[in-house]
Amino acid sequence: MSSPAVPEWTGVALSVSLVGLAVLIAWRQRLGLAREIVIAGVRAGVQLFLVGAVLLFLFKHAGLPGGFAWLAVMVVIAGQVAGRRGKGLRHSRYVATAAVAIAAAVTMGVLMAFGVIQTTPRVVVPVGGMVVSGSMAATGVTLSRMVAEVRGQRAAIEARLSLGLSAAAAFAPHRRELLRTALIPTLDSTKVVGLISLPGAMTGLILAGVSPEVAIRYQIVVMYMLLAAAVMAALAAAELGQRMLFTAAQQLR
Amino acid sequence: MSRFDLREVCVRREGHLIIDRVTATIAPGRCTALVGPSGAGKTTLLRLFNRLDDPSTGTVLLDGAPLDTLDVLALRRRVGLVGQRPVLVSASVREELRVGAPHLTDDEALGLLKRVGLPAEFHERPTEGLSGGEGQRVCLARTLAVGPEVLLLDEPTSALDPEAAAAVEDTLCALLSGGLTAILVSHSAAQVQRMADDALVLRKGQLVESGPVAGVRYVNGGG
Ligand SMILES: Nc1ncnc2c1ncn2[C@@H]1O[C@H](COP(=O)(O)OP(=O)(O)OP(=O)(O)O)[C@@H](O)[C@H]1O
Ligand SMILES: [Mg+2]
Repeated sequence: MSSPAVPEWTGVALSVSLVGLAVLIAWRQRLGLAREIVIAGVRAGVQLFLVGAVLLFLFKHAGLPGGFAWLAVMVVIAGQVAGRRGKGLRHSRYVATAAVAIAAAVTMGVLMAFGVIQTTPRVVVPVGGMVVSGSMAATGVTLSRMVAEVRGQRAAIEARLSLGLSAAAAFAPHRRELLRTALIPTLDSTKVVGLISLPGAMTGLILAGVSPEVAIRYQIVVMYMLLAAAVMAALAAAELGQRMLFTAAQQLR
Repeated sequence: MSRFDLREVCVRREGHLIIDRVTATIAPGRCTALVGPSGAGKTTLLRLFNRLDDPSTGTVLLDGAPLDTLDVLALRRRVGLVGQRPVLVSASVREELRVGAPHLTDDEALGLLKRVGLPAEFHERPTEGLSGGEGQRVCLARTLAVGPEVLLLDEPTSALDPEAAAAVEDTLCALLSGGLTAILVSHSAAQVQRMADDALVLRKGQLVESGPVAGVRYVNGGG
């Protein structure tokens, strides 16, 4: 029996049996997770269904402006999510939104300016989505590390301020440290790409019947763009976040 | 010169008045003790003198100039702060002495170590593993490296064992006799009597007594 490269709707329906299996196991083992698994499964299904509908509409009717509008919406949502990780930092949601926006704009701008990717909604929306989500992750970690670092290292920062160092100089060692921490996951996953994980874009292309040689070309671009986006987002979040930490009179808030 | 004036200074935090309309003068070239029960607002007040914090209302003046009209980084180099515990921010004593004074020569560094009572070989020591007393001396030397006119001392010996405390106190006394202006927060009446010329007594954020130490009841057992 041969299956199609991409599942039919009946196949999708049958894959629900996998969720059923997970629920059954969770229930038998009394993990107390059965309810959550059902909710997560339903949520994911509904979200993807809606996104599919939106994308269908965008590709058919909204054109490039619609694609960019959809990207802007993603940036705002990502900013809210990443900003929550910086709880305790003033204006953390604005900082996060700006960081994601800067990283996404620069990365997408370069890709489009050099003609690396097609400037059509069908390409801009999914590629932009990957960039935004990578930027969101890096921004979230940067801001949460920043809040933790200030909480733990207040005395050291104020010791440097008291010696006449500017806010930027007093925070510099901490900034270096938190940026390193924030970027380690991205760097590690970049290093092992292809060896440990076959990333989503490549998996998708291969499943859809594209030759591996084409799939890796796509994947290389994706990997580089995610790396650049993460570094830029982390740097922007650190730079903007740092300004929220100190007053104009170089006082730690 | 370096004379401080506090004018109707209030600090409000989360709706509480922590410093309540304090008006006082800190005389130049003298050591002024800031005393009072725990929670009276001594640390809060001390942090205003080098602008780690600003008053909510009122003004702090240095030689007649409101602090917020001065360049804050220059102010902090004129007004050094030594905290209750040694907070070392570098890996080695050599680097630690240069945090605020990057161009310090080795000769100057050794001179500073001598002033705070540490032997020259400490210059090459890592900061990890210094005792509390040694760490506090390194902090003092690091602050002196910047060349301040005023020293703010927040319970500089309270985290040390009695022997180290006495030794650090001797070092401070020697430094102060050299003409530095100092503001000393202390819990110990004996220390205030040994080190300070004047005293300000805070209670619940209010200034309740002030003047030369000999006449201040709080320091002389009058509560
Ligand atoms: N950020 C803040 N928010 C709310 N209250 C604060 C804040 N900082 C200090 N306080 C309160 O202000 C009061 C004065 O604190 P401060 O540290 O100045 O006292 P202190 O005289 O130095 O006490 P101690 O002798 O114990 O060091 C305390 O009751 C403290 O709880
Ligand atoms: Mg205190």
